[in-house]
Amino acid sequence: MDERRLKDSFARVAAHGDEVALFFYSHLFLAHPEVRDMFPVSMSVTRDRLLTALGQIVSDVSNLDSLVPYLSGLGRDHRKFGATPEHYPAIGRSLIATLAYFAGDVWDDELARDWTDAYTLVSRVMADAARRDEEQHNPPWWDATVVGHERRAIDIAVVTVAPAQQLSYRPGQCVNLEISQRPRLWRLYSMANAPRPDGTVDFHVKIIDGGQVSPVLGRGPGIGSALRLGPPFGSLVLDTSSANDIVMAAGGTGLGPLKAILEQLGHRGQSSTVPRTHLFVGARTAAELYDLADLEKMAASNPWLTVTPAVSHERGSPGDSALRIESGTVADALARRGTWRDHDAYVCGSEAMVTATVSRLTALGASPERIFIENFGWSEL
Amino acid sequence: MHPDRLTPEYLQSIQFPTARLGKRGVDETHVRAFCEWVETELIRLLNEKTALEQEVWRLRERVREADVVQPEDGHVQAVYILSRAQQTADKYVANAQEYSRDIAEDARRRREEILTEAKTRAAAILDDAHASATRDAATMVSAPVAEEPMTAERRQDLETELTYLRTFTQVCRTHLRAYLESLTRSIDEWEHAEHDAARR
Repeated sequence: MDERRLKDSFARVAAHGDEVALFFYSHLFLAHPEVRDMFPVSMSVTRDRLLTALGQIVSDVSNLDSLVPYLSGLGRDHRKFGATPEHYPAIGRSLIATLAYFAGDVWDDELARDWTDAYTLVSRVMADAARRDEEQHNPPWWDATVVGHERRAIDIAVVTVAPAQQLSYRPGQCVNLEISQRPRLWRLYSMANAPRPDGTVDFHVKIIDGGQVSPVLGRGPGIGSALRLGPPFGSLVLDTSSANDIVMAAGGTGLGPLKAILEQLGHRGQSSTVPRTHLFVGARTAAELYDLADLEKMAASNPWLTVTPAVSHERGSPGDSALRIESGTVADALARRGTWRDHDAYVCGSEAMVTATVSRLTALGASPERIFIENFGWSEL
Repeated sequence: MHPDRLTPEYLQSIQFPTARLGKRGVDETHVRAFCEWVETELIRLLNEKTALEQEVWRLRERVREADVVQPEDGHVQAVYILSRAQQTADKYVANAQEYSRDIAEDARRRREEILTEAKTRAAAILDDAHASATRDAATMVSAPVAEEPMTAERRQDLETELTYLRTFTQVCRTHLRAYLESLTRSIDEWEHAEHDAARR
């Protein structure tokens, strides 16, 4: 396998952009019409993801240490779409046909062999990971039903679901989920609670204007309605080996995973063994601080916990709650408390919020390797 | 004389003339001529066989190639047509999403406007009530100075009136709150309805 040749020919092909993925999927669906049903009606997002994944694989083709875990994750994750080992050769044929079409006159038998070898390797790693996952009796997805829905603000709701089979996860992790009203559209949500004895899970849902899934989920898909959860994953989990005090920064519904971690800390029993924890929770307006009542209760019953709410788009106020609401962003509120040296930091929110908060925390003395954020990686695919 | 083509029947039926006097066996000239003719026939058959083999090979290739995608064949046309259909579907979904986003954003903006206006109005009503209460209190304070000491009956009346005013502002506030809540509810319903419509 000639790495240079692979990369060069891929660069040539990728220059055609969206047309490449468009050709690939049309080719695949013509050869195997039954596969079409595994994809959503609108394919634009799927196509973007395919090109990103191919680019990632090609650029990492000689770096097996990072490529193999990435592909294994992809393979396991594709089980929830209903992918089986039989699908891989068909995909390979359409992929090679697509590459041949767009590579133009540089395509020859040798290049075809290089690409075939590369694809065989990739699909073997993916299929093997999927097979091992199956052998460990992990289901391809978890069936669940909606058991609770609470609208907390005009565009924020807390949805509680009950998985039919126990879902094991670490607080802070997330799953891709698919609601029955919007088939084939999988969206990422974090579990907003530590595992409960009854197995139910909360999701904090922000309704996105013009979104396809969040408006249905946020307005209430109806008690008893069905959904599927993919396998839990995620790197935003508590470092239990650390004895450092903790600072948490939550923006909007980014509070979900951090609240799950707070519950985990609370389950430790002896409150003297729990690291002192300061949670900063931010929103645009006080009406969007949707979980203050609960946080207040947690702060009142856990001496190790301090909660500071902040609003960025209106003036802070003493508010109706016992918690005083500060003015400014979460990063502003953090900065007013001095330095955060020797703290473990957990940050979750919008991309802009995370970037701003991480750089502010670093400036305030937190060491970058002690700042934990969600790194989605392959899960975005 | 021999036939045009060599056949098994001809070989079975062949009879060579006997040799001339003084020699034994069949006539050598005839046999040699026969062998030459067989050789020519054999070459011809071998050539024909090679040509046929080539033809078979060519046809096989053609069948095999039909299984492989060739950039110029009809399959590419089908891929192209399906791709365009997919793009059309993508565009419809994107347009619907855009439309629903616009409506939701618009509704959100109007909701904020209405709430702000209602808050301003509520503040004005409260200010008025406060001002008139202050005026009444001032009258109450100044009245006794100007006239003779207030009778118990008069004081009772004023206190009743004060209680009434307090209750009245309370009722005003409650009504205002109910009004605001019903406004929020209607906006929710309106938003809902437009979402449903957009989805349809």
